[in-house]
Amino acid sequence: MTDEMIMEAVKSGDLHQATLLFERYNRRIYNFLARMTMDRALAEDLTQNVFLRVIKYRNSYRVGARFQSWIYRIARNVFSDHYQSVNNRYSDFVDVDRISDHIAENDDREKQEEKEALLHRSLAKLTDEQREILILTRFQQMKYEEVAVLMDTTVANIKVKVHRALIRLREYYFELERI
Amino acid sequence: MEKEKLEVLIIDYIDGKLSDADRLSVEQELMRNEDARKLYDELKEVIDLMENSGELTPSTKLKAGFDRILKEEAASSSATRTIYFRPTFYRAAAAVALLVMSGAIGFWISKNNQQQQELAELQREMEITRKQLAETKQLMHAMLGNDQSASQRIRGVNVAMGISGADDEIVTALLKTMQMDPNTNVRLAALDALAGFQHDAIVRKGLVDALSKQTDPMVQINLIQLLVQMKEKVVVKDLQKIVDDAGTMQAVKDEAYTGILKLS
Repeated sequence: MTDEMIMEAVKSGDLHQATLLFERYNRRIYNFLARMTMDRALAEDLTQNVFLRVIKYRNSYRVGARFQSWIYRIARNVFSDHYQSVNNRYSDFVDVDRISDHIAENDDREKQEEKEALLHRSLAKLTDEQREILILTRFQQMKYEEVAVLMDTTVANIKVKVHRALIRLREYYFELERI
Repeated sequence: MEKEKLEVLIIDYIDGKLSDADRLSVEQELMRNEDARKLYDELKEVIDLMENSGELTPSTKLKAGFDRILKEEAASSSATRTIYFRPTFYRAAAAVALLVMSGAIGFWISKNNQQQQELAELQREMEITRKQLAETKQLMHAMLGNDQSASQRIRGVNVAMGISGADDEIVTALLKTMQMDPNTNVRLAALDALAGFQHDAIVRKGLVDALSKQTDPMVQINLIQLLVQMKEKVVVKDLQKIVDDAGTMQAVKDEAYTGILKLS
């Protein structure tokens, strides 16, 4: 059963079908928001908000539209609404413990942890758009075509933006490494 | 190789999105260019870090929260729909009443909607017709006003003829053309066009008035024929004047005389 068929059923009043959509998407949306906010606790609240909107605004789902694009649009709006309402953009400082999922067990692991911490600090220095585009295409492995639909733009435009974001990320990463 | 181009190629190379030729070219560049090699290593490191970054797992609170939301929404949806009637009789009566009421309301809404749709459609069609008429009139004026080309002015007259139902604006333009245009053929064409609208009172008056003012013999003859055909007896006096006028061409006088005979 496709996501779209399930969402149509939810829209028609079969609310319990939403559980299937939650199972398919909660980790992806949570990961997207955790990378965007750099805060796992906050990401959980926002993910819950995303699914609340999916249920509350089920009638606004256009039959035939791709569900993945729709839910990611909601997630982007939730993220944007949160920062607009609290006006608390994060600074260059990133509490890596808030995003890291691992506990260092040996030297290699510790080294990897350091690199990931550096990566997150570098990501935090990017613009929101650059960070989002890398999260979607690299962490979430979304195709350029899918991101283009989500962001209402062309695949060529997304490709250029990905390249620019990667170049900038590399600069920040190796700058921070030298400090 | 330019730095920007190289950066793009290296990223596509890491992503495995290059053609064989481009891949070979990048590999050669990496072999001979140390900066390119460094760029590749650095980009590869950040790309690999992102792509191999483990998936984060939300806590069980998330699922619990979702279940609560779903339960609340299901309860509020059904609460808005359910009305209980205790004795079965009342329930049945309520069901019948609801059925009749919803049928009547549905019929009324459907009829109302249909009427509104028809009205909207009619208004839309009228608006389109109005716009088309305005555009056609604009075209007609532009053509009739073309001083350089008589054929364009004749086409303008034809455009006027194509408009169903003459209004003051069209009649005035055609009468003016019939009276004032420097070219006989254009004036005759305008007269022909006006003949098409001869049942319109304004056109009839305009044609009658034109008879005493027209001096072009060709137009005069055609105008007399048209007025006679229209059985406009009020023009007999003007026809008599034409017959009596020493300066009028004989052929026009003959036509006027014939007209007087037919109308008397």
